[in-house]
This record gives sequence, C-alpha cells and structure tokens, in this order.
Amino acid sequence: MAKLTILEFPDPRLRRKAVAVELVDDKIRTLIDDLLGTMYAAPGIGLAATQVDVHLRVLVADISEDKLAPLALINPEILSRDGVEITEEGCLSVPGVYEKVERAEHITLRALDRDGNNIEMEANGLLAVCIQHECDHLEGKLFVDYLSELKRQRIRTRLQKARRLDIDRPHKAPAI
Amino acid sequence: MPRFAPPVEQAALYKALVYHSVRWQPRLSRLAGLLLDRPLRARDRVIDALLQVGLCQLSIMHAADHAAVSETVNAVRDLGRPGLAGLVNGVLRKYLRARDALEAELDRDPIAASAHPGWMLEVLRGDWPEHWENIVTSGNLQAPMWLRINRTRTSSREYLQELSDHGHAASLSAWVDDGVRLAEPCAVAELPGFDRGRVSVQDGAAQLAGQLLAPVAGQRVLDACAAPGGKTGHLLELVGGDIDLLALDRDPQRLRKVDETLERLGWTARTLTADAANPGEWWDGKPFQRILLDAPCSGSGVIRRHPDIKLLRRRSDIDDLAGRQRALLDGLWPTLDQGGLMLYCCCSVFRQENQQQVDRFMNSHSDAELLPLSDRLRGRFGDGRGPGMQVFPGEEEMDGFFYAVLRKLRVATD
Repeated sequence: MAKLTILEFPDPRLRRKAVAVELVDDKIRTLIDDLLGTMYAAPGIGLAATQVDVHLRVLVADISEDKLAPLALINPEILSRDGVEITEEGCLSVPGVYEKVERAEHITLRALDRDGNNIEMEANGLLAVCIQHECDHLEGKLFVDYLSELKRQRIRTRLQKARRLDIDRPHKAPAI
Repeated sequence: MPRFAPPVEQAALYKALVYHSVRWQPRLSRLAGLLLDRPLRARDRVIDALLQVGLCQLSIMHAADHAAVSETVNAVRDLGRPGLAGLVNGVLRKYLRARDALEAELDRDPIAASAHPGWMLEVLRGDWPEHWENIVTSGNLQAPMWLRINRTRTSSREYLQELSDHGHAASLSAWVDDGVRLAEPCAVAELPGFDRGRVSVQDGAAQLAGQLLAPVAGQRVLDACAAPGGKTGHLLELVGGDIDLLALDRDPQRLRKVDETLERLGWTARTLTADAANPGEWWDGKPFQRILLDAPCSGSGVIRRHPDIKLLRRRSDIDDLAGRQRALLDGLWPTLDQGGLMLYCCCSVFRQENQQQVDRFMNSHSDAELLPLSDRLRGRFGDGRGPGMQVFPGEEEMDGFFYAVLRKLRVATD
C-alpha cells in the first residue's frame, strides 16, 4: 500500500473535475488501497482521488475509531439530501484550517463498490458530512469555497506562509 | 477530511489537555480505577479516555471544578454515549468529594506517583539507583524551547540582544556554544530571521552532538541517521559549509525533511535514502574522517517533550533497538578513516542503549579507542562516570542524551 502525496490548497489541480470510472479493475482497487493507506496515515476519515492528483471519481471514508469500517465509493451520486448539520470541518488539503460548514444531515446515494457492484446506501451525521465533503472534491470544490472570499484569502496566505516556515515536527509545537 | 477538527480558537486548550492527559496517563488511569466500581467495557474505552481527560482537568490542571465536570459530561453526549453521562458525572463528583485521600493514595503508588510505566521504572532503578527519581521527575516537566544560533551569520550573544529587543527573554548556556534558551516558548515565525536560516529550534543536548564531533573544514563527513536534519545543519554551520557531507536516512519521507531543513539554512549536501548499517548498498569506498551516528533509540531521554513515549514503548522494543544500534555501530566502523572520529549518540537514558552498547563495541574492536571528555565537560553531567557522557533530562535544562566519541586507531605499516 503506497502512501501518496496529498495536494494542498491553493493547488490548481484540486480544481479539476474528476471523470467517471468505466471499469472497476485491479488498477482501481490498488488506487482504493493507496487512498485508504494515505487517509489512515494522515490521519483522516475521508479522502478523494482528486486530492492525490488522480482525477477519477473514487473516494474512501472511514469514520470508525479502529479503522474497521473502510468504505470505498466509485462514481458516487447523491440521490437525496435532507436535514441540516453544521460541522466544524477540516480538509487534508487545507491543513490546520477548521471552519463551520452547513451540509445535509441525511443523504442517500448510489455508487459502485470495489468489486464493481451497484450499491445504494444511506448515511447520517458525520459520515454523511464526510461523503458530501469528498464528493465536492470530485467536482473540484473545496470546503473553503463555502466561506467568504476574505476568509478564503486569509487561509491562502496563512498556508503559503506556513509552508515556507515548515520545520521539524517535534519542534513545531513546543511541548506544554 | 481530517480525523479531528478542534475549533481554532480553542486549539491551545486542546493541546494542553492532550499533553497533560498523556503525560499523567499512568496516574490518571490508576485514579479512574480507584473511582470506578468496575472497569468500563472494552467498547466504552473512548469514555474511559474521556474520563481521564476530565480527571486531568481536576487533578492536574486545577480547572474550575464545575466547568470541568459539565464539559466532560457534555462530551460524553457528543460522543454518542448519553447512557454513560450519569456514570461520568458521578465519578468526577466522587473525586471532588474525596480529593485529598485519593491524591494521597496515588502518591503512595510508585507508578501513579512517577507517572511512568512499571517496566520503565524498573529499568531506570536498575540503571541509575541514585538518579532515577530525578530522571522521572524531570520527565514530567515542561521542556524549555532551545534555539541554535547559526554561528556563520550571528553570534549567540548578538542574537540574545535581538531577542530581547523583540520582547523575548532568553539566556545563554555555559556548555552549549551556539545555544540560547527562551524563557517562554514562542512561534517560530516570531524568531528574527528564522525563515532565512539564522536560527533553528533544537534542544541543547542535540547541539552538543555537533559540538563534540567537531568537524574540520575539508573533511568527508557522514550523518548516518540524518532525518529530520537538525544535526546535519549544525555540522555544516560549524565549518561554514566547508565539508563534503553525505546524509543518509532509511525513510525517504523523513529524508525529504533533511532537504527542507538544509534549504532553509541555505546549505547543500548529498542526501540519500539508504540503510547506514549496510555500507555495501551505498558506500563508494572512500573513508570518512567524521561520522555522526545519532542512533534510533527508545527516546527515554526526551519523554518531557514526547510524553506519548510512555504509552507507546514496550519493554521488548529495547532489545530490538539495541540490536539496531549494534548493527549501525558495527556496520559503519569500516567506513571510518584511520584517525577519524565517530560520535555515537542517542536520546536515551537506558544503559542497554548507551554505556553497555559502547562497552560491547570497545570489547569487540581492537582498533577503536574511546576519546576522553574535554576538561570543560568532564564530570559535569550525569553520574560523572563513563564510558562516554550521560546527560540526564533537565540537567542544564537539556534533554536526556548520551554521547561517546570513538577514534579509529592508525595501523602501523612497516
């Protein structure tokens, strides 16, 4: 399982719209495994192929605490949304930034699983938020797009500065 | 999406909660055990952890009782276990009622009192019968932020003045030539010239490594386990970049950190992903005059900065690490030039990784001699005895570290 590099905002490649997977083969399954490995290592609860510069409609998610519920969705399509859930969201492509975003609390969706079977499923709460967030990536959309332009500009500046100053992990946060 | 999303404005509080809860976990888990009638079920271990965070606020951080209890109980609900809210509330209130007696009971229990796992206490007691209590006490204190001043650009004395002009109190060290200790930690962005490489963040003990190896201009130098590159940068600073330096690390991702560190400091060196213990894979056969072997280790000397070491390390790791250290020492020795120096160091206070490692090496290598410490350092740190030099955590406000400078003898040729 390879660990892939996650693109970071404002990388223009995060804006590309992903294309549908035509055939679920071993290549796609390898991609799924790599996405899961990269997501767990981050550590994250969701990752879209777009974030690792692969522009196919594939995403993975696992909101369990023990990495016991990996979910891979190919060509996901959200069929219905209802309710309102406001969550403090973050994104592995926008490190260190957390802002409140409003999403549907409950969704139903259709997708292919890793064996190419059609599945329909429902998701609530955090999983629903996570899937909506990752589906946005496949459209070239980021959670910061829901914020004001002023806020987004501030985040862009902060990340560019942070990358210039990046230093050894143990020293980044002086121990308390 | 990332796994956890703390509200930005509370990041400092979250960080404090995590550090203190991890640092005092051996004590807090005993305390939870005293308060619970029966242990929580395995599937409720997230609530067990939360309960310890709640107890940490009351017992260690002395937060306002009411706020700590109600926030912890709210978190039980946020975690989707409202059925356990009553239990958590009851346990925290029970602590508040019997606080003094409970704390006294914890102080009588060696694991709770020292907040170190039992196996670590056993090793430390055996290794340092006269010093182990100081070692564990220092392991539970907050470490200061140390800076290394890039001597090719500024002297530490000048930088101290600059810091003071920027409102940061700091002090020099009598032992660490390039070191400055900040009175209060600050963000690196506040350090004048940090992004231009005038200064690095590095503990004083780590700075002593470069100082002891003392490379000389023009030498071929190997940094065998280089990531993330703090000491690599120091070696270059010590000679104004005028050495032929090769930096190795087994992990390509961590090695990239070395490149980034050197880029910030404005130096260039060859970096290579390779296992230093197997020179056959990477060595061109030209001997090095200096080798820095900062070996992978238990980290038992840096627990004050990385308290999770208490929870993650197992006793069985120590044998594995000692085996790796031995492989590195033995594997690298043939690449050292006659008359050349190899510094063996690691951030541990365990004899098995330090003194015993060097004793074993000396007994099996007739062409090695152990360099005596300079008059300035002799008898200054640790128990004052060799082989090598042991610094205990907290001495001169430094991390715990061990150093031994090995010289390869010249072989007389007739």
